[in-house]
Amino acid sequence: MDNSKIAHHISENFNKELEDIRNKVLTMGGCVEEQIEQAVRALTTGDMELAELVIKQDNQIDELEMEIDAECTQIIALRQPAAFDLRLLLVVLRVINELERIGDLAERIAKMAIYLSNSSEGRTDQYHELKHMAGLVKDMLHSALDNFARMTIEGITDITRCDEQVDREYASIIRQLITQMMEDPRNITRSMDMLWTVRALERIGDHSRYLCEHLVYMVNGEDVRHLTQAELEEKMKGQ
Amino acid sequence: MDGFNSAPHILKKFDSELSLIHDKIVAMGHLVEQQLSSALQAFTTNDVKLAIEVLKQDDLVDEYEAIIDAECISVIALYQPTGCDLDLLVSVIKVTNELESIAAKAEGIADITIRLNQKTVDLRG
Repeated sequence: MDNSKIAHHISENFNKELEDIRNKVLTMGGCVEEQIEQAVRALTTGDMELAELVIKQDNQIDELEMEIDAECTQIIALRQPAAFDLRLLLVVLRVINELERIGDLAERIAKMAIYLSNSSEGRTDQYHELKHMAGLVKDMLHSALDNFARMTIEGITDITRCDEQVDREYASIIRQLITQMMEDPRNITRSMDMLWTVRALERIGDHSRYLCEHLVYMVNGEDVRHLTQAELEEKMKGQ
Repeated sequence: MDGFNSAPHILKKFDSELSLIHDKIVAMGHLVEQQLSSALQAFTTNDVKLAIEVLKQDDLVDEYEAIIDAECISVIALYQPTGCDLDLLVSVIKVTNELESIAAKAEGIADITIRLNQKTVDLRG
């Protein structure tokens, strides 16, 4: 792993602390990715034990968040960092907040898996589309975390562009669900459960996009939140 | 209101920076509160005009968030606060983030108000 961005301090200890924080964030990111993977698998295979496991594991993510949060504030107080180091630590605070929210959404999907096992009666329509959408948001999150690990923002606009695709797939699944609800009111319970599930996936896409925006701030100090995709691409051109 | 409840510092400038941040976060909080109640009123009275007003305020909330964040970060970098001052500034950054999320939810309500009043038959849009 390239450490040039964080391993240049005279204090070996400071290098170690930053390295340690980065590794913890990546561990937390790995846990969250695993949670999404397991929640979606629990839903599509009807594995209730797995769904219960995902719900139980959410505590670990919350604990990691609090641990990293405390460590970050302590380093800022003790080391009084400036420039990139300070941005790194502040961005870590934001990144773990996004990760925690993604963790909650994975937990929501696991809960829906349990509801759906009652309301679906073995039906699997939209599972294919749902899996595809889950694949997209997992890729977004993974690429964002990969950039965080390397402290770069390469291809960041490709990741955020993917969010537009996620939104389109979300809209298309919602249309299917509404059609099914209109065809037969007996579909409503299942369709509503499916709706909350795809909604959670769509939100995971949004949070992954926010992660990317935080990374841009970390690397070049520019606040790029609330920009449209076109504005972001324009801003990132030539960087 | 007399700013954050933090003891006076030797540096008067630091106190005035903190009190500026305090005023801005109070203003942002008021704006978001008002946005949420307008959004709810628009929803319950089917007031599309009011809903559009709520959406228009979005930029202002985003701007507040960006400005307060930037000020907090530069105060941390310049004054290198520790203890409760640092905790305060880090919390402010978290608070602006939550306020922004609440504003986004208020806009969601306004958005739905507009859609409900456009298409009462075809909900698929």
